[in-house]
Amino acid sequence: MLIQIRNLTKIYKVDSIETPALRGINLDIERGEFLTIAGPSGSGKTSLLNIIGGLDTLTSGAVLYENTDITKISISRLASFRLKQIGFVFQAYNLINTLTAVENVEYVMLLQGVDVKTRRQRAVSMLERVGLGEYIKRFPNEMSGGQQQRVAVARAIAAHPKVVLADEPTANLDSKSGEALIGLMRQLNEEKNITFIFSTHDKMVMDKAKRQVFIRDGEIQK
Amino acid sequence: MFTFIKIALRNIIRNKRRSLITVSAVGFGLGALIFIWSFVDGAHIQMIENYTSLLTGHIQIHSRGFNQREQLEINISNPQEIINIIEDESPLVEASPRIKAFGLISSPEYSSGIIILGVDPLQEIKVSSLHKRLKSGEFLDEAESNEIVIGESLARNLNVSLGDKVVIMSQAFDGSIAAGAYYVKGVLDTGAEEIDKSVVLIAYDAAQELFVMPDRASEIVLRLENVENSPAEALKFRQLLSGKGLEVLPWQEISPILKQWIEFDNGFIWIIVMVVMIVVAIGILNTVLMGVLERTREFGILLSIGTRRRQIITTVAWESLFLGVIGSLIGLCIGYFLSVYFGTAGIDLSVFTQALSSFYMEAVIYPRLSLGHLLTSMALVLFTSIIVSVYPAWHAANLKPVEAIRSI
Repeated sequence: MLIQIRNLTKIYKVDSIETPALRGINLDIERGEFLTIAGPSGSGKTSLLNIIGGLDTLTSGAVLYENTDITKISISRLASFRLKQIGFVFQAYNLINTLTAVENVEYVMLLQGVDVKTRRQRAVSMLERVGLGEYIKRFPNEMSGGQQQRVAVARAIAAHPKVVLADEPTANLDSKSGEALIGLMRQLNEEKNITFIFSTHDKMVMDKAKRQVFIRDGEIQK
Repeated sequence: MFTFIKIALRNIIRNKRRSLITVSAVGFGLGALIFIWSFVDGAHIQMIENYTSLLTGHIQIHSRGFNQREQLEINISNPQEIINIIEDESPLVEASPRIKAFGLISSPEYSSGIIILGVDPLQEIKVSSLHKRLKSGEFLDEAESNEIVIGESLARNLNVSLGDKVVIMSQAFDGSIAAGAYYVKGVLDTGAEEIDKSVVLIAYDAAQELFVMPDRASEIVLRLENVENSPAEALKFRQLLSGKGLEVLPWQEISPILKQWIEFDNGFIWIIVMVVMIVVAIGILNTVLMGVLERTREFGILLSIGTRRRQIITTVAWESLFLGVIGSLIGLCIGYFLSVYFGTAGIDLSVFTQALSSFYMEAVIYPRLSLGHLLTSMALVLFTSIIVSVYPAWHAANLKPVEAIRSI
């Protein structure tokens, strides 16, 4: 088992008001899954994704990643975990505006210590793979939303993560671009056996998933 | 590392107008600082040069205790031997013996307390500029033993002019009365009132005779090639003449007031330095902090994809350092060209001539660029730019990724 989530709760506290976002989530995720976590706005899917990715803390429970509880490790080790194991694709693309497409893709590999030549080769090859071979020297603001999101996918994949977490990756894209992007991710999932976990409420994304999990009011629906 | 530098540099370029305003503020501040420092250095050099060339010289050699008590009994026997030792060691150093005593000068109408200096006319013109400060008449002649040069104020107080006879009285080395009649050969206008109203010059030979001091001198005055070497050269000569019962003093020890004045001035410069650094700090802090706050989301992304906190800090520090470096280069150019231009053309302050002359300065001041002060100014700007990056860098590195990504 790649990821095991046990009795996960998350309560947001503002002043003395407590708002539960996740209420006792239990979920197992196998290597190579193409999984969607679907649910309406405010259901807790983004919170769950953030906790799985080590971006946010939980209130109680455990997230075991290959039997290691990532909720118990230090901030520094957590950063290292994200760097080596997780690729992120965010709803709003979230590229680094001062870096070109190829530099954005290279960035995570740079942090991983991959040498210059290898990371440039891998970045260019990945951008070609996502259909942006001619855009490698473009800055994010010189590309469309769909192109930026494909750069974000290339960035997530090029660093060879075991898991890619994608938070509503098609939310800002038109239906054609969205479908193409999910198709591309599905291909990468099959080719490289990378585990993809999506949060979405897009039916098209859910239809492409190998497994769907529904969440409502912070609880998984049976 | 190169990627973090690239991100920092591109962030500066991304906000062109803000960065330009910041580096301009840093540049003009540093340029002004370098120029002011050069101006003050130039004024100090002029003060020291004028002060030491009037009477003090760069270094003085006395018999031990003379500088404190200035008594005729404390003197150097066989001064020529000392001068020979000095000249053998440093052929470019000029040396002149003097006899110095206190006495009374009288004209037919008035009298006044004075300092009598017996100077060797041929050597004195190599160590002091008194001969250039004559308002009327001529400087002393070695062959004439009954001539005297007096200050303008003293001449006025005594109501004497060129060719008039005055009498000086004092006590000789052997305790006898020293008295002699002299004819005014020249009138000095040094600009320093205390000299013009109380110093008289007679020939060294005449002074030896008057004070019964054959082959003796009160002091030997030295002039070096470069006044800035005075302390080091004094130390060298002190070692060279050790065991002879002499004191070798650079001008700083002979005239601590001038030294203290210059130190006070230098202290004041540090206040200006602090003000400039505050301006630099506020300018850079404003730009870097604004940049960091605007890019909260971007830092959130960097943190979420695995960037370590120290790498975030490095990026912000590079940004700040770049602003400091670019501003410093602009400031260096401004300060350098202003200092070099006015260092040649001079700054005419003749409207303040009276005030300037009392500080041994001339109407035109020539800024002097000091490499040490130039480098210090630049180093301070760079240091300040690093220091002010601490808070924005700390802020960026301690963002919570999830919250930062959500920010607009």
